[in-house]
Amino acid sequence: MMLSWEYPPRVIGGISPHIFFLSKHLAKQDMKVYVVTCDFPGAPAHEVIDDVEVYRIDSYKNPAPDFATWVYLMNMNMQKETTALTRKLGNEIDVFHAHDWLVANAGIGLKHVFRKPLLVTMHSTEMGRRDGLHTTTEKMIHETEAWLTYEAWKVICCSDYMISHVKYVFGLPSDKLVMVPNGVNIHNYDSVEDLKDFRGKFALPEEKIVLFVGRLVYEKGIHVLINAVPKVLNKVNAKFIIVGSGYMKEQLLNIVRSMGLEHKVLFQGFLDEPSLLKLQRCADVSVVPSLFEPFGIVALEAMAAQSPVVASDTGGLSEIIDHDVTGVKVYPNNPDSLAWGITRVLVDGYYARHLRENAYKRVQEKYDWGKIAQQTKRIYEGVLGEYSKSFWSNQSTSL
Amino acid sequence: MRVIIFSWEYPPRVVGQLSGYVSALSKALANNKVDVSVVTYDDSATGQTVESSGVKTVRVANPVKSQIGVLTWALTLNEEVERVATNIFYEAHKRIDLIEVFDWHFIPSAVTLKNAFSLPFIYSVDSVEDHRSPNQNSSYNMAIKSIEWLGFYEASAISVKSEWMKDEVVRIYNVPKEKITVLPAELSSLVKEILKIYNEVAEVKKTER
Repeated sequence: MMLSWEYPPRVIGGISPHIFFLSKHLAKQDMKVYVVTCDFPGAPAHEVIDDVEVYRIDSYKNPAPDFATWVYLMNMNMQKETTALTRKLGNEIDVFHAHDWLVANAGIGLKHVFRKPLLVTMHSTEMGRRDGLHTTTEKMIHETEAWLTYEAWKVICCSDYMISHVKYVFGLPSDKLVMVPNGVNIHNYDSVEDLKDFRGKFALPEEKIVLFVGRLVYEKGIHVLINAVPKVLNKVNAKFIIVGSGYMKEQLLNIVRSMGLEHKVLFQGFLDEPSLLKLQRCADVSVVPSLFEPFGIVALEAMAAQSPVVASDTGGLSEIIDHDVTGVKVYPNNPDSLAWGITRVLVDGYYARHLRENAYKRVQEKYDWGKIAQQTKRIYEGVLGEYSKSFWSNQSTSL
Repeated sequence: MRVIIFSWEYPPRVVGQLSGYVSALSKALANNKVDVSVVTYDDSATGQTVESSGVKTVRVANPVKSQIGVLTWALTLNEEVERVATNIFYEAHKRIDLIEVFDWHFIPSAVTLKNAFSLPFIYSVDSVEDHRSPNQNSSYNMAIKSIEWLGFYEASAISVKSEWMKDEVVRIYNVPKEKITVLPAELSSLVKEILKIYNEVAEVKKTER
């Protein structure tokens, strides 16, 4: 049984699509999957989506003093309703799988009440999000995360980088941590539609398209890309398309204006999903210049869209990209290095094709949701094997 | 009769008069052949003890030390209360008759345990949020009131210490009068009255099964 504070149509961050695809592919592997999540206007309290049983609980809609307190109050309701549900299902639930501290209390409570193993996926940490712990709220959330990982049988992270980070911040033993990458749905990019007209809306036929997708914030390194623009244009005729928004937008626009390159850099803002998928397929190169990146799903999406990737050698990106094989790695926060990488892909069509083909193959091999679900299922089976030898398993919880 | 008592204060931790009250009451109950386990909070003196009276106690610490308020403090502590109560339940081979909860702090645990094991609970009211923080309707106070309301709604029986409090609970939380018992102050008649409530709640539980 998955516990998550978001599941479509409630989408706040990356956990929502993660649970959606993971649950769906686990169900395809003959597992009975239940998802318990917060309610959402218009979404039913119970429905079956691709064989996944989805239950939406009353997410505590009275006013709460602050976000963190709301999370704990919501957990109170989630636990109350999930206990009743689990009881109703009899002895059917073998494993509780919590995602992030947002469902910590509910996960821990359910584990003890039903005496079943608890697994947790740590998608992120408070320490990482805030770059340290500065307030009592941040410390409280951090300690809640530590408590959750302590109570969990296994802790799943999406990259080796996150494994070492989580191990360090919570002082966990290595044998408790397992790496399962995030996935990408390659079939999103299956369409064979002719994109010539669509491409024409963004760039001239003789211009190569350089694509950036991400929030316009410091840690995404968008300013590095902007500084690399003139260096690239010295060598190749290209159009830089920036998708996303953020607090740095005005500042970036001013830099572009001062360079006199408004006609070469297009700030697109947010883009609807179908258009974004098409644009990713059109891109002659996709750039991920992040300074901090726990995973780097944008790089994976570009690889699935068969667009060559240039990414900075940092965090999860370092693991996704195999230099000269599935993409180009450049020095983080270095416009010269980034311009070198972009130019290299744009001027050498043969090299670009080589990267594209390898990257697509790698995505199919390693980041396919089917394979990720398989790995996750194996973790469940391993945990249940260990659990079967514990005294908890001898006690029937049915009443 | 096997009973688990939840109280956020119990000697040696004394915050108000509830601590002494719960202590005296559990002793008296133990003397009347009730198997009593008290689950309470203490951040340092944790663990299990058996008092000379026969009352068993388990003290739990809060797993999260940094807290922004009483609400988050109570809500994280609830998981530990729930954990040890579950252990008592399994160790007693599930033969626990009921839980008695003093004030709102551990109501969430009692509700979860009720949903999980059909374990009924009695909500024993010392004070309510409306009197502790009069005329305050901030989201913080409202959240505590919502937990109190949940307790009144889910409890099998409610006990109060005065007719005035009975009227207040009925007025503020719209609780049916029949659900509330006013307890006498004198200890021996108090114990008699509480045992009567225990037996009624335990009896209903049996017939439900």
